[in-house]
Amino acid sequence: MAEMPPAPPPPEPAPPAQRKIVLPPHRVRAARPRSQRIRDWAHYNLFHSRGATALTLVGLGLAGLILAGVVWFVFFEADWGVVTANRWLLFAGSFPHEKAWRLWVSLIFTLLLIGSAYGVWASFGRRDLLFIGLAGAFVIFLMAHGGASAESSLWFLIGVICLFAGYLVGQIVPRGNDEQTPIGAMLFRNGFSDPRRVRTLATRSLGAVMALSLPIILIILLAFGGARTRELDGFVLNLLLAPVGIVGGIVLAIPLAVGRASSLRLVSWLCTAFIEMVRGAPLIGWLFVALFILDDVIGGELLLRTMITLAVFTSCYMAEYIRGGLQALPRGQYEAAQAVGLPRWRAMQLIILPQALRISIPPLVGQAIALWKDTALISVILPLRELVGNGRSAIGQVEFIDSRIEAFIFIAVAFWVIAFMMSRISQRVERTLGVGER
Amino acid sequence: MSRRIVAVILLALLGLALFAACSGDGGDGAAQREDTLADIVARDELNCGVKQTQALFGLKVGENDPEGFDIEFCKAIAAAVLGDADKVNYVDVSDGSTRFSLLASKQIDVLIRTTTLTSSRDADLHVDFAQTTFYTGQAFAVQADLPYMSSADMSDNPTICVQSGTTTEQNLSDHFLELGYTFEVLGGTDAETLDAFVSGRCDVWTADQSNLASSISNLPNPQDFRILSQLISKEPLAPGVRDYDTDWKDLVNWVVHGVIAAEEAGVTQGNVAAMAEDPPNAQVARLLGVPFRGGEVADHGFGSESTPIDPQFIQRVIAAVGNYAEIYDRTVGDAVPRACSLNALWSEDKRDCPAGGGGILYALPYR
Repeated sequence: MAEMPPAPPPPEPAPPAQRKIVLPPHRVRAARPRSQRIRDWAHYNLFHSRGATALTLVGLGLAGLILAGVVWFVFFEADWGVVTANRWLLFAGSFPHEKAWRLWVSLIFTLLLIGSAYGVWASFGRRDLLFIGLAGAFVIFLMAHGGASAESSLWFLIGVICLFAGYLVGQIVPRGNDEQTPIGAMLFRNGFSDPRRVRTLATRSLGAVMALSLPIILIILLAFGGARTRELDGFVLNLLLAPVGIVGGIVLAIPLAVGRASSLRLVSWLCTAFIEMVRGAPLIGWLFVALFILDDVIGGELLLRTMITLAVFTSCYMAEYIRGGLQALPRGQYEAAQAVGLPRWRAMQLIILPQALRISIPPLVGQAIALWKDTALISVILPLRELVGNGRSAIGQVEFIDSRIEAFIFIAVAFWVIAFMMSRISQRVERTLGVGER
Repeated sequence: MSRRIVAVILLALLGLALFAACSGDGGDGAAQREDTLADIVARDELNCGVKQTQALFGLKVGENDPEGFDIEFCKAIAAAVLGDADKVNYVDVSDGSTRFSLLASKQIDVLIRTTTLTSSRDADLHVDFAQTTFYTGQAFAVQADLPYMSSADMSDNPTICVQSGTTTEQNLSDHFLELGYTFEVLGGTDAETLDAFVSGRCDVWTADQSNLASSISNLPNPQDFRILSQLISKEPLAPGVRDYDTDWKDLVNWVVHGVIAAEEAGVTQGNVAAMAEDPPNAQVARLLGVPFRGGEVADHGFGSESTPIDPQFIQRVIAAVGNYAEIYDRTVGDAVPRACSLNALWSEDKRDCPAGGGGILYALPYR
């Protein structure tokens, strides 16, 4: 934020006969009427000299022009028909319409998990609510524009309700002894149960569901007469591949990082060689490997080979970030763990890794977002079709031959919404864990 | 020190093992005879490599299978081999760079993706091409008010829009070098060149004739542009299969000839059942694999030893997708007129065609 304005001319010195309390400057400033404060702020920050005034006016003019241009493009010039007419193609591609409920149930499940995780470990801030509101408005705008079926609107509404329901349920879980949510305090007031045990139970069970969420979603989508794997298509494919790559990446990265930092030369060498080999080639190259070489070596569904490739590729970058976290820990932590007689792997599990992972959260999230955007490479190299591939089909239709810009802007916004959501969640996690403070 | 040596040796062994695993079936595998037909029947599905981003030829719309001229031939082949035109897995090769590798690694059985049949692809890339399904060529579109009738008139240094980095661009500069004319080039992507041409920033736009025709016919003001009939390159689009798989190639080849032969003989989707019941002549009877006037059914011997294909397969093809004219009219007919183009039948009446015009589709005899 801008600098605070200086104190206005100090109030008239009080007559010496009368004793008056002299307020500190910030209280004096705060006591002024609001209109006066705004005027002072504007004067001090925007118009304090002729140059500043000119700069402010030019800046405001430019900002206004850009905003007007964007509004004009979005609401008047652009023809969003290419997006609204191809909503299903872009979102789910070949996924059969009559099995759409499987997609919606997966979405609701995901939103429920996000909501309850927020409820248990954090709370919605003003900015979170603003983001949810904007993203929700975007989806509603998209569905209303050109008329989505009432059914899908209803499903989406249920999803939003589940997000908040999960959040409220999560809020019931006690925060510990000192920090209680109001509802939790009411429920657990009279020693009804040990709040700490309730919390442990809640976090463990939620953690287990989250760990199993990807297989659960795949079961919802594919099992018992669901879609065939080749019908996973469009944005749904991006939304499936990125989490598999990220979660699989972290799971593989931890042993790789610990192995690279190991004092056993052979283990350290093998891990280093693996990491350097994978990092040495671009993702496009590894996708070719998945397409042609892995086909000969392990075979199986291309989708599965792609998932493995993404996870392995991500893990090598993440392993290096985690190694950074391991090295950032003071030696005293290792020595203290040894001094209390913890075996090496228990020390790793209880003392070292939690701290190292906490330090590595910012770069890990950076890698996760990079992978999310890299999923757009899939339809360039592989015969799988994610959002960008289906976008190309959408603009291939003759009636949308001049709507290319609209289609790609929409795709960019769709990627941005998810990337921004990941970044918001990571900021929340960082704040909860105190990264950068301790 | 010794540990380090051990590690190096282990790494080297690992590398060798990987190398061996990757190159294991390379050497003698290439010359082996393949039996794609048996694979397709065992899988009960045809893996057809198609484009899904080009209107008229292969375009995905909504959740359904893609649609277009190329797609119809996938359906025809599936109907011939499996008896069901819907048993096709459309493998997306919209991005052309991996198409021949996908074919070579057996991830697709047949490549039907507006692929030009050229000598180097046939000889070098181990692709075998079946009968061409669509003849096109590089052509010019000009602003309607300019006096050009062919490239020979373009001696006044015109500005020409062309997609950058393509064989189209290469053909253009070769052609103008040959003519001894100069030109200004305005490059860009497919969309950018169209946009530049429509907004008058270039006098001439060059691309495949079918592409020019479909793009211009969908503009709000098609009368402002003219497509010249002159072609400066040959672009025969043909289905591709792997080398060393004669039985499979024969079948693909004769499915294409079959739909052309059906048009020549007047067999359509509507009358194929009646024709099979009572063939008008021996030629139709042989095509449809039915006896003529109490004679015997001629077995062409299609298919491999393990997977014979019955002589009635063309009946199923025509019942599923119709003859060549029906396929053409259903997909590209509105945008790319067929009369007097290379894709008309050789036996077409050429009296109304401009000099040199007329079709070259000529079905080989079924007997």
